[in-house]
Amino acid sequence: MIHLDHVTKTFGKRKALSDLSLHVDRGELFGLLGHNGAGKSTAFGILLGQVRPDCGRVMVRGHAIPSQRSLALARVGAIFESPCFYDYLSGFRNLEIFTRYTALIPRKEIEAAVELVGLRDRIHDPVRTYSHGMRQRLGLAQSLLPEPELILLDEPTEGLDPEGIHEIRNLILRLHRERQLTVLLSSHLLAEVEMLCGRVAILREGELLYDGPWREIAGTAPAFRLNLDDWALAGPVLERADAVRSGGDLVRFRGDPADLIAALVHAGVRIRSVEPHRRTLEELYLEVIGRP
Amino acid sequence: MNLFGWQLRGELRKLFARKRTYLGFGAFVILEILILGLLQLPKVKRSFRNLIESNGYAFEHYFSGLTLALLILMWTIFFLGALYLALVGGDILSKEVEDGTMRMMLCRPVSRFRILLVKFLACMLYTVALIGFIGLTALLAGFVQGGVGGIFVFAPLEDVFALYEFGPGLLRYAGAVGLLSASLTTVTALGFLFSCFNMKPAAATIITLSLFFVDSILRNVPYFESIKAFFLTAHMAAWIHVFDSHVSWTRLIEHYAVLFALNATFFVIGWLAVESRDFKS
Repeated sequence: MIHLDHVTKTFGKRKALSDLSLHVDRGELFGLLGHNGAGKSTAFGILLGQVRPDCGRVMVRGHAIPSQRSLALARVGAIFESPCFYDYLSGFRNLEIFTRYTALIPRKEIEAAVELVGLRDRIHDPVRTYSHGMRQRLGLAQSLLPEPELILLDEPTEGLDPEGIHEIRNLILRLHRERQLTVLLSSHLLAEVEMLCGRVAILREGELLYDGPWREIAGTAPAFRLNLDDWALAGPVLERADAVRSGGDLVRFRGDPADLIAALVHAGVRIRSVEPHRRTLEELYLEVIGRP
Repeated sequence: MNLFGWQLRGELRKLFARKRTYLGFGAFVILEILILGLLQLPKVKRSFRNLIESNGYAFEHYFSGLTLALLILMWTIFFLGALYLALVGGDILSKEVEDGTMRMMLCRPVSRFRILLVKFLACMLYTVALIGFIGLTALLAGFVQGGVGGIFVFAPLEDVFALYEFGPGLLRYAGAVGLLSASLTTVTALGFLFSCFNMKPAAATIITLSLFFVDSILRNVPYFESIKAFFLTAHMAAWIHVFDSHVSWTRLIEHYAVLFALNATFFVIGWLAVESRDFKS
């Protein structure tokens, strides 16, 4: 659905993206992570043909950007962290104006999108009277018109209260499930990405540091949390079993955990508890960008 | 209506729904009333009386609603028209970039050329609508104050001195409003051009106005008489020649062809500037 091959973009002397290669498959929920200025928005801009890359190849829905931009974006929706509208016009009028740059969309279809995002009661009010959350939902409605195959969501929950975040998250999941939408999502909220995306890419200063499923880094041993009485006694046992203690009570071990437990018990180590450790996205993120 | 028509309609809706439009159109009406009041001052009336009667014509007949309308039209445009249109043209793209709505538009499968063309045409139509509005309200104000009668036209810088009866006068007034609209599209087009560059809306407006005023001042400096044809405002002022006793259509067409070419050039340069730009928050 999305292919970025060796894309580089420089603004003045600052390299916003450096040789970025990335692909997102059809139907995937993909997260793009990185600190402020990491290049996420630039990548979004390039995918939408708003930013011209210095070099590299960009394909969306099998069409090249920017040469076949109109074909590529025919069924693509996008929203940014603060969707911008004509404040003095109603939400409905805004939807009409924006969607007419794609096609003439029947009123019923617009109303259905409005219903879906829960804005029906306020859609004919001027946008200046909308809260941030309502603007965000209006942004989502415009990105769903006409029915897209791919949506690009750049910080869609930025500035929302917990309830709003929950609503938007559920809506994204619902759209993904019901319409088989491909979603490319960028967010600072790692917990959000964790709940939505199976695969992520992590950018730092325009460079791709990681691209893959976030629960497991390929080649990394599974981890367990061991609650032991005597770590000094356990040390030689762990070493012999090729298990690695990676800080605190976390132990990485490739073999059968039952064997490790048996070896520890045999050596006289009292074990209070053992539990498999599920990696959090935050751990992966901090690990990849090289922070403790 | 095809998709282009709907897009143009949306753009016009955006322009006309803005509070600025209502306030602006209201300000024009207030200015027209003020000018009408000024034209009723005894001193002003006396100078017009002298001018008309010294040429052997009846002041009461020719200082009528039509003459007042033309004077109101000319002065209103001079004081506020260029400023307002520079504001509209200067805002048309840069304000959307500043507000972030341009990025929303560029999420759509539409070319930058198409967006600009829609905006440019909307600007042109807005200009025509505004000048038409001023022309019509000036006529109404003129008729209310001066009643029906002949028209007296005096534009010394353009060597125009003419008097017509009501019928031909009204026809020429209508023609003048049409040509003045066409002339002023160049101010809007100039504003549009600067709006396409990476600058604040206010900057685009100020540069447009500055160029317009510098051009109109320099045009009247005798030193530049030989290169007068190179001044923008020399062509823009051609509309008044619709009041010449023998209208030189060839000359008018020449002037407006130059203005049309300038507008087209401004559009193309603006488009090339936008094509080379990155749109990012």
